[in-house]
Amino acid sequence: MVVRKKQVHVCRECHRVVDGEACVICGTSNLSEDWAGYLVIIDPERSEIARKMNITMAGRYALKVR
Amino acid sequence: MNESGNKIYAIKTTAKQERTVADNVAKVIEGQKDIRVMAVIAPEELKGYVLVESPDSVARMEQLVEQIPHARAVVRLRGEESYTNLSEVEHFLVPKPVVSGITEGTIVEIIAGPFKGEKAVVKRIDTGKEEITVELYESMVPIPITVRGDSVRVVERSEEAV
Repeated sequence: MVVRKKQVHVCRECHRVVDGEACVICGTSNLSEDWAGYLVIIDPERSEIARKMNITMAGRYALKVR
Repeated sequence: MNESGNKIYAIKTTAKQERTVADNVAKVIEGQKDIRVMAVIAPEELKGYVLVESPDSVARMEQLVEQIPHARAVVRLRGEESYTNLSEVEHFLVPKPVVSGITEGTIVEIIAGPFKGEKAVVKRIDTGKEEITVELYESMVPIPITVRGDSVRVVERSEEAV
């Protein structure tokens, strides 16, 4: 039996990793399966990386979305 | 160390488990208060490692690694500090377009798809879509083929680019 890995979608607008059919933050269904690089923001207020990336919400993000 | 006091640690992971480790770091951090982690990066270019942003010491990072499956060790340099600054890793945050080193006239080898192994000359570059249009080197009739930027390997750069 061939087990296919579940495709993870990323919002093209905010680069957030999305579980459902639409992005919960932007509300858009403009999602992409073709992305690279992964970023997990845990504490956006104290994270220097979040500040550099202009991210204000904790969550999982993609670094590059095609 | 940067102005916020956060350091960047590199954690070695099992191959292809970088994303799992990044997710697990977030899960472990949620459940406790001893170890503070602000963010985790798993860059595409850096296989087998994740980068952790934390104000804590390397001993805390080692404690964290022990709790995470597929995380192997914190990278330590003998006699030197085991952390780095954000300035050293921030280039990972803005990935370069894959077509950045390719110009018109560059000779490339196609490394994926039905034309795998064929050599071709670059005719047009679409930086936005990260696609390039090539013409096969050995074909009698020039047929333009559009391929993804990451499915070619540069064989010889054009003279203009040198």
